[in-house]
Amino acid sequence: MSDQENRLIGCFASVFPGLSAEEIRGTSAQSEGIWDSLSAVTLAAVIQEEFNLDIDPEILPELNSFESFRSYLTRMIPGTVNGKS
Amino acid sequence: MKLIEALKLARRPVPETARETKIFLACGFTPLHLQAFLTAEMCMRMPENRITINTGLFGDLCGSIERIDPNGIDFLAVVVEWGDFDSRLALRTLGGWLPSRMGDILESATRTAARLKSGLTAASHSVPTIVCMPTLPLPPMFSCSPAQAGAAETQLRHIAASLAVCLSQESGIRVVNGQALDEASPLDGRYDLKSDVLTGFPYTLPHASAIGEALSTLIQNRPSKKGLITDLDDTLWSGILGEVGMERISWHLDAHTQMHGLYQQFLASLSGAGVLIGVASKNDSAVVEQAFTRSDLLLSKNDVFPFEVHWSRKSESVERILKAWNIGADSVVFIDDSPMEVAEVKAAFPEMECLVFPKNDYDEFWKLLKHLREVFGKSMLTADDAIRLRSIRDTSAWRDAIQSRKNSYDDFLKAAEACVFFESARPDGDARAFELLNKTNQFNLNGKRFSESEWRSFLKDPATFVLTVSYQDKFGSLGKIAVILGRTSGGVAHVSGWVMSCRAFSRRIEHQCLKYLFETLEADEITLDYQLTPRNGPLQEFLTELLGETPGEIVRLSKEQFASKLPPLFHRLEGIVHV
Repeated sequence: MSDQENRLIGCFASVFPGLSAEEIRGTSAQSEGIWDSLSAVTLAAVIQEEFNLDIDPEILPELNSFESFRSYLTRMIPGTVNGKS
Repeated sequence: MKLIEALKLARRPVPETARETKIFLACGFTPLHLQAFLTAEMCMRMPENRITINTGLFGDLCGSIERIDPNGIDFLAVVVEWGDFDSRLALRTLGGWLPSRMGDILESATRTAARLKSGLTAASHSVPTIVCMPTLPLPPMFSCSPAQAGAAETQLRHIAASLAVCLSQESGIRVVNGQALDEASPLDGRYDLKSDVLTGFPYTLPHASAIGEALSTLIQNRPSKKGLITDLDDTLWSGILGEVGMERISWHLDAHTQMHGLYQQFLASLSGAGVLIGVASKNDSAVVEQAFTRSDLLLSKNDVFPFEVHWSRKSESVERILKAWNIGADSVVFIDDSPMEVAEVKAAFPEMECLVFPKNDYDEFWKLLKHLREVFGKSMLTADDAIRLRSIRDTSAWRDAIQSRKNSYDDFLKAAEACVFFESARPDGDARAFELLNKTNQFNLNGKRFSESEWRSFLKDPATFVLTVSYQDKFGSLGKIAVILGRTSGGVAHVSGWVMSCRAFSRRIEHQCLKYLFETLEADEITLDYQLTPRNGPLQEFLTELLGETPGEIVRLSKEQFASKLPPLFHRLEGIVHV
């Protein structure tokens, strides 16, 4: 597991406490009773701060799962290849 | 603090039995991350408590404040922004910025300020209230260039500043200091337009963190330190008095020793605010006494007590000063220009804050003054702050007089011409009574401390009584020195709290208090919720003397039992109140 993925799991864990790393990897907007508008906004803020990013509001709706955030970070953070920094 | 850290802190596990501290956060915008930061900061300051933060209806700050039920909350935290004065000052509202509308905006802002003042003042009578005035830059809506302060913009700032002045004068309101916030959070890093437009939360995360910290600092309202012990040579003044003589020591611009003058001025201001100032100096006492006759000294001899001036170790001087003040080392700051002396005192009193006076470093000196203001700052001064040092000096004179008396102790007390004043505590919070309850250790019935909200609830409860006791005699006034609280039922007075300043010991005031309760409450019995604490030995001794045995948890004292043990009392009583 890359350092970047670990940090991303940490971000999710801060917003969705009580979930294991495995559960976090499977988390998405479809996860019942977990993902709501407030947690989505908080999650985006935590991730932007943690990775020093400014997420384009246009693509924010597409970032609706752990996997989509992971892919986004891989694309956006310079010097990372396939999630390895 | 980062948001991820705040969220983790806010969700830390707390025991089921943890006391809950309820805060109502009122703001006109979506509180979002501010709520997380405030919760986290409070969790750090009150780690043993469960912190609960509720919020009102966003977009209606005045309404939220007016609808608050103060009985259900411990603190009210209010964050005001420009948009709360008039929605056209917020960027989520498209209300028009035409120059011709400015008059209307100003009128609306004035009306809102009056409503905020009224709502906050009313709320503060029931719950401790913390207010943060607008921190965001005003939008670029004015016709002047941003470099110029136009009339409309200046008037808006005046409206906000006038409101802050009114609120800061209320005893139940603490206003966040804009200057301190400016240092923690630069103006150009505060506003997040994207977040404001997309989510309704206008702050950058660092600014939200800074506001959370500022609010929690004022909510916690940590007790200030009580005393400062200072060195003289190269600290209170520049120069070694014993070497250069009193005319050559200096603290002025022309001698490039201005910072010593500023230090004197600062200590005098602390003394005026009730902070005890003592001197520990290795010097010839006669020479120091002479130096203090210099009329240009900004700290007068009367501002200082006691002077420990001799050639013994500094730690011995500090020990004697602590004894004269009768306070713990953790409530005192020691300042000396010599790192060796500072280390020696620190070794003897590890719990004391010991600081080196930075005599040649202006930046460090500036930091020292700011730090001292932080540790000695009080949310409000009481009448007793003004007489504290004099009262301690008078107490010392009292003790000396007892030691040197030629007649009996009863004769001595009779000649003291003592007067005891009983009053009901003021319903607005009675800051001095609250301070006594939370600071007194030795004569303290059970060591119970009160939160501000508990204290206010107690004062408002019609079934309870809260008596404050003041004292003066021919040696001087001790001010308000005791608080008794409890309730009565069926001829029994239940005393749940009783504290008395150690300065008031040996004057039989404690006997007078019980006598007063028996007589005024027409009680046949007084019960006392006694609890032994590590420091309330003097109270235990008093009760043991009355009961003839070591007190248990509930002390029952009948009128007859008390009368049989009552020594002669010579106080004149004033301010009789019916409780």
